[in-house]
Amino acid sequence: MEMIVNFLTSPAVIALAWIVIKIFAVIVPLLIAVAYLTLAERRVIGLMQLRKGPNIVGPFGLFQPFADALKLLSKETILPSGASKTVFVIAPMLTFVLSLVAWAVIPFGEGMVIADVNIGILYLFAISSLGVYGVIMAGWASNSKYPFLGAMRSAAQMISYEVSLGLVIITVIMAAGALNLTDIVMAQKEMWFCIPLFPMFVIFFISTLAETNRAPFDLPEGESELVAGYFVEYSSMSFALFFLGEYANMILMSGMTATLFLGGWLPPFDWPVLYLIPGVVWFILKIALVLFMFIWIRATTPRYRYDQLMRLGWKVFLPFTLIFVVLTGGILLGFGLLPQ
Amino acid sequence: MITLTIDGIEVEVEEGASVLQACEAAGKEVPRFCYHERLSIAGNCRMCLVEMERSPKPVASCAMPAGNGMVIKTDTPMVKKAREGVMEFMLINHPLDCPICDQGGECDLQDQAMGYGMADSRYQEPKRTVENKEMGPLISTIMTRCIHCTRCVRFATEVAGVPELGAIGRGETMEITTYLEKALASELSGNVVDLCPVGALTSRPYAFQARSWELSHTSSIDVMDALGSHIRVDSRGNQVMRVLPRNNDDVNEEWISDKTRHAIDGLRTPRIDRPYLRNAKGRLEEASWDEAFTAIKKAIGKAKPDEIASIAGDLCDAEAMFALSQLMDKIGSPHKDCRQDGSVVGQQGEGSYLFNSSIAGIDDADVIFLIGANPRHEAAVMNARIRQNYFNRDVKIFRLGAEVDLTYPVTELGDDARLLEKLVDKGGPVVTALKRAKRPMIILGQAALRRKDSMGLLDLVGQLAKQVDLVKKDWNGFNVLHTAAARVAGLMLNFLPGKGGKPTMEIVAGLEKGNIKVLYNLGADEVDLSQRADKSFVIYQGSHGDRGASQADVVLPGAAWSEKDGIYVNTEGRVQYASRVTFPPGDAREDWAIIRALSAAIGQTLGYDDLSSLRQTMTAAVPTLAVTDQPQSAKLGKIGRRQAITASPMGHAIGAGSGVSFYMTCPISRASVTMAECVKAFELNDKAEAAE
Amino acid sequence: MSTFVTAIRSFLLLEVLKGLGLTLKYFFKPKVTLNYPYEKGYLSPRFRGEHALRRYPNGEERCIACKLCEAICPAQAITIESEPRSDGSRRTTRYDIDMTKCIYCGFCQEACPVDAIVEGPNFEFAAETREELYYDKEKLLSNGDRWEGEIARNLAADARFR
Repeated sequence: MEMIVNFLTSPAVIALAWIVIKIFAVIVPLLIAVAYLTLAERRVIGLMQLRKGPNIVGPFGLFQPFADALKLLSKETILPSGASKTVFVIAPMLTFVLSLVAWAVIPFGEGMVIADVNIGILYLFAISSLGVYGVIMAGWASNSKYPFLGAMRSAAQMISYEVSLGLVIITVIMAAGALNLTDIVMAQKEMWFCIPLFPMFVIFFISTLAETNRAPFDLPEGESELVAGYFVEYSSMSFALFFLGEYANMILMSGMTATLFLGGWLPPFDWPVLYLIPGVVWFILKIALVLFMFIWIRATTPRYRYDQLMRLGWKVFLPFTLIFVVLTGGILLGFGLLPQ
Repeated sequence: MITLTIDGIEVEVEEGASVLQACEAAGKEVPRFCYHERLSIAGNCRMCLVEMERSPKPVASCAMPAGNGMVIKTDTPMVKKAREGVMEFMLINHPLDCPICDQGGECDLQDQAMGYGMADSRYQEPKRTVENKEMGPLISTIMTRCIHCTRCVRFATEVAGVPELGAIGRGETMEITTYLEKALASELSGNVVDLCPVGALTSRPYAFQARSWELSHTSSIDVMDALGSHIRVDSRGNQVMRVLPRNNDDVNEEWISDKTRHAIDGLRTPRIDRPYLRNAKGRLEEASWDEAFTAIKKAIGKAKPDEIASIAGDLCDAEAMFALSQLMDKIGSPHKDCRQDGSVVGQQGEGSYLFNSSIAGIDDADVIFLIGANPRHEAAVMNARIRQNYFNRDVKIFRLGAEVDLTYPVTELGDDARLLEKLVDKGGPVVTALKRAKRPMIILGQAALRRKDSMGLLDLVGQLAKQVDLVKKDWNGFNVLHTAAARVAGLMLNFLPGKGGKPTMEIVAGLEKGNIKVLYNLGADEVDLSQRADKSFVIYQGSHGDRGASQADVVLPGAAWSEKDGIYVNTEGRVQYASRVTFPPGDAREDWAIIRALSAAIGQTLGYDDLSSLRQTMTAAVPTLAVTDQPQSAKLGKIGRRQAITASPMGHAIGAGSGVSFYMTCPISRASVTMAECVKAFELNDKAEAAE
Repeated sequence: MSTFVTAIRSFLLLEVLKGLGLTLKYFFKPKVTLNYPYEKGYLSPRFRGEHALRRYPNGEERCIACKLCEAICPAQAITIESEPRSDGSRRTTRYDIDMTKCIYCGFCQEACPVDAIVEGPNFEFAAETREELYYDKEKLLSNGDRWEGEIARNLAADARFR
C-alpha cells in the first residue's frame, strides 16, 4: 500500500501525470475546436453564399457536429477487398496522430507549452512534412484509381509548397534569431513579423492553404475529377479520423501562422491594458482569425488547375522567397538589425 | 362496264355499282354511316354526299347508281360544307360522353367528326335523350347515342332473319327499338355491335372492360363450330378480352356467331393449371409433371397394347392429334377415334366427310336438301348465307329432320329417317327438284351420322346421289356439315380405329367390360365414362375441368385454343392456322408438347422437338394438310353399307330438341358465364313460352 | 509595359482581394434561405405535385375509367382496370399510379375530361420503401379528400387560362 502511494507520489510519476494532463488539456479543446470548425466552415460559407447553413440541430445548429459524428460512427467500416489492410487502417491514424503531435511545441501563452524545445520550429516543420505519409499510405493502400491519383497529387503538392514554406520560415528565424517558438513570439513584442515580412506572411499563408489541401488548392480531393481523392475508399470512423486530422492540421497551421507572424499570445498592441486579457485568449482569437481567412478564401476562390498550382509553387513562390531570404538577410546584416 | 370520272380520275365500275363504290375504286375515301357493303342501301345518314356535275345539290353517293360519263367531285368546298353540315346535325343530339363510351377510340362518328366535322358546336339548346332498350345479355344499349343509320335494323332483318328490330317515330322522336323489349333472338346478334357506327349498341359482356388502344390483336381461327370463321382475338396482358370477325368472303363473310364472340370468358375458369393425380381415397390431388408421368408409365406398362385406347375431342389442334396418333402407333394400340359423338363418317375417303361444295358454293346452289342438319345452330354463320341466297336467288330448300325455325322457309319432309328409303325408291318432289337442279346440294348433318343405322342412311344418300347426279364434272353436291372444329383434321390424320380397332362407343364399352384398361382422353368431354371398370385407367389431357377431367385418373393440363399455335381444318377441308394469343395458365403446356414429353417418359420418344418439325412430319404424312386456306373436295366413292333403317326421328346434333344448347357445346362455352346467361335469356324463356 | 502591370497586379493579389471583398459583402447581406420544414415557398396554382383522385361534392368519385390518362402517360405509370359498377355506371376497379415511374408532366390531368385525376399541391410524400410509392385507388381518393380544398382553389385560379 505504502509502496503504491510512494510510487504514485514519486516525482517521475507526478511529472508523467502532469504531462498527460497537459496533453489532455490541449487535445480535448482541440478536438472540440475541430468539431466546431466544421460547423463554422459550413455556416460561414453558407452566409457568404446567401444561405443560412446548418441551423436546425440544436440552437443555431450547435449540435450539428455531434449529429455528424454520430452519423459517421454509426456507419459501417468498409475495408475494400483489394486494399492492403494494415496500411489502409494505419493511414488515417497516422494523419490524425501527426496533426496532434505537432501541438507539443506550440506555446499558448508565456510558458504555456508542453515541450519548450529549442528547435521547436524545426520539429513543427518536420511533423507537418510527415503528414504526406498518411496521404500516400491511404492512396496506395486503397488499391484504387482515384485515391492513388489523389495521393500522388497531394504528395507532389505538399512537397512543392514545403520548399517555399521552409524558406519563409528561414526569414522568420533570421528576423527572430531563434528556433524556439516562445523566443520567436517574444521577438515580436515590438512589432509582429507580419508587418516587416508582409510578403512572406502572404506566401506563408498561401502555402499553408496548399499544405492543408484547402481551397483553392484542394486538388487531391477534387470532386469533379477524383471523386474524393485519397479517401474515396474510406468510410465511417477511418474517414472521420482523416477528417479530424485535416481540420486539426488547419488549426495547427493557423496556430503556426499566429505564432510566426501574428505575435502568438501577445496582444495586438503593447499596452498594459491589453495584458489583462490572458495570452491564451489572444492566441485563440488569432487562430480564429486565420481560420476565418481559410474559410473565406474557400468561399471565394475556385479550384486551381494542377499545372497552375505547380507553376505557382515552383516558378513564383520559390524564386520569390529565395530572393526575399537574401533580401532579408542583406537588410538585417546591412542595417545591423540582426537580433543578438 | 360504266366509265365515270372521280376527281379527275377515270374509273370503270360494274353495272349497278353506286357512285360510292366508284369513288372507292378511284381510291377516294367517302365518309359514311348507314352504308355497309353487306347490307341493303338505306341512304339515310347523308354523310356520303359528293358533288356531281350538272346537279344543283350534292348527291348521296351510296344511293346514286353510277352512270356513264358522270363527273364526281369529292373534295370541293361544297362537299366539305355539306359534310360539315351533316356532321353538325348528327352531333346535335349525340351526347358528349365519349369518355364513358365503349366505342370511344374505335368510333366511326368520333373519327369522322375529327376528319370531316367542324371544330366546335353552335348548338345551345337542350339535347334529346332516349330511353335505353333491353336487347338481351349480349347487347347493351345507350340509345341516346344512336344516329339512326339503321344498320342494325337492316342486319337483323336481312342477315340474321329476326325482324325484331325496327325504328318507330319520325324525325327527332325516331327511336330504334326491339318493339317488345326482348332479347334479339339470333345466333348472330353480336354482329350488330360491330355494325353500329357509334356507341349505341355495345357488347354487354365486354362493357367497360378495355379500350381499343390497349388491346393487341391476333388473327386467328374460331373453334366453336366447324366453319373455322376468321376472327381477330383482342387481348390485354394475358387475358383474351374480345373476339371480332375478320373479313373472309369464302367462310364467314363479316359475321361470327355469338358463341364465337362471347364464349371467351370461359377461357378463364375453371382451368386446369397443373397436373392432377387420383389418390387412394379416390380424389384428384395436385401432382407434379413427374408424378403424373410416372403414374401413366406404370399404367401403360401394365396394359397390353391391345388394351390401350385413345379418343380425341372436338377442340384439339391437328398437331396434338397427330402426335397422339403417332404415340399410339408406337405403343401398338389400334383403338383410336376422333369422333367422340360416335359418328360413322371418315373411313370411306375424303369425299365422304367433307363439305365438298364449299361454303361459298352455297351461293351457286339452286336446290339444297338438308338431312338431319340444323345449320342455324350447327353453323350459324353459314345459315345466314343460305338465308341470303334463299331471298336473293330463290333457292329451293328441303329438309328431312326435326322442324326448327331456320329463319327462312323450308319444305319439310318429316322427321322419320325411313322417309329417305321412300325417296330413293319412289322419288318425290325433292328428287325431281334435285334432278332438275344444275347445282344440287345435299347437306348431311351430324344427327344423321351418329345413329346406329347411319351406315344405312349413308348408303341411301349414296344411291340418291347417283340418281340425281349429285356429283358432276365441276360440282360436288355431297356435303357433310361437321360441328366439331377438330373433326375434319382428325379424319384427315386418320385418327380412326386401325385394323381391329374399336370406335368410340366400343372403347367406352370396353372400359366398362375391362378389355380396355387404359384410355388416353385428349380433350373429349362429351363421352360418358362414368360406368367404367374400377381397374381401368383414364388419362385426360385438356384445358378445362369439365366432365373428362372429373372422370380421369391423371389430368394433364393442356392449352386452350387461344393459347397455342395450331392447325384446324374446317368442314370444307380448309386448312387454317390458329395463333397463340395468350400463354397457358400455370403449368399448362401446349398439347403436342405434353404428348412429346410423355412419349419420352414412357420410352417411346417421338421424333420432333418443336412445332415446325412436327408440322413438317405431319404434312409429309398427310399432304392435304399442307394446302392452306383452300376448300378441298374429293370424289364421292361408295359410302355406307346396306342396313335396315329404324323408324326413329332424326333430330339435331345441336339446338332445339337435341338436348344440346347452341350456347353450350364444348368445355369452354359450358364454362362461360355469358353463355349461361344466353341460355337463360333465349332458351329457357322459349321453353317457358312453349309451356304456356 | 502591360506585362509589367499585370505582374504587379497579380503580385498585389488585387483580384483575389476584390473577390474576398465580394464574399464579405455577401456575408452580411440578408439571406434568401427558407427554413424549409418551418417556412415554405409560394406554389403556383399550376404546381404539379402528388396525384389525387377527386370526388364530386356529393361524394361520388369523378373518375369514369375512360383511360385517357393511362393512354397519354408518357412514363406508362398509370394502370386502370374498369367494369360496370352495380348501378351500371362506368367505374374503375383499379387505379394505380407508380409514383416511381411518374415524371410529373401533368398530361394525365390535362387529358382528364372530368378533372378527376389532378396533381395536387403536395410535394412532401417521400416514403421509406418503394412499395409505399405504388399508389392505388384508395390512396389516391384519400389524397383527393385531404387536398380537395386546395385543389379546387388552384383549379379555380387557373380556370380562366384553360
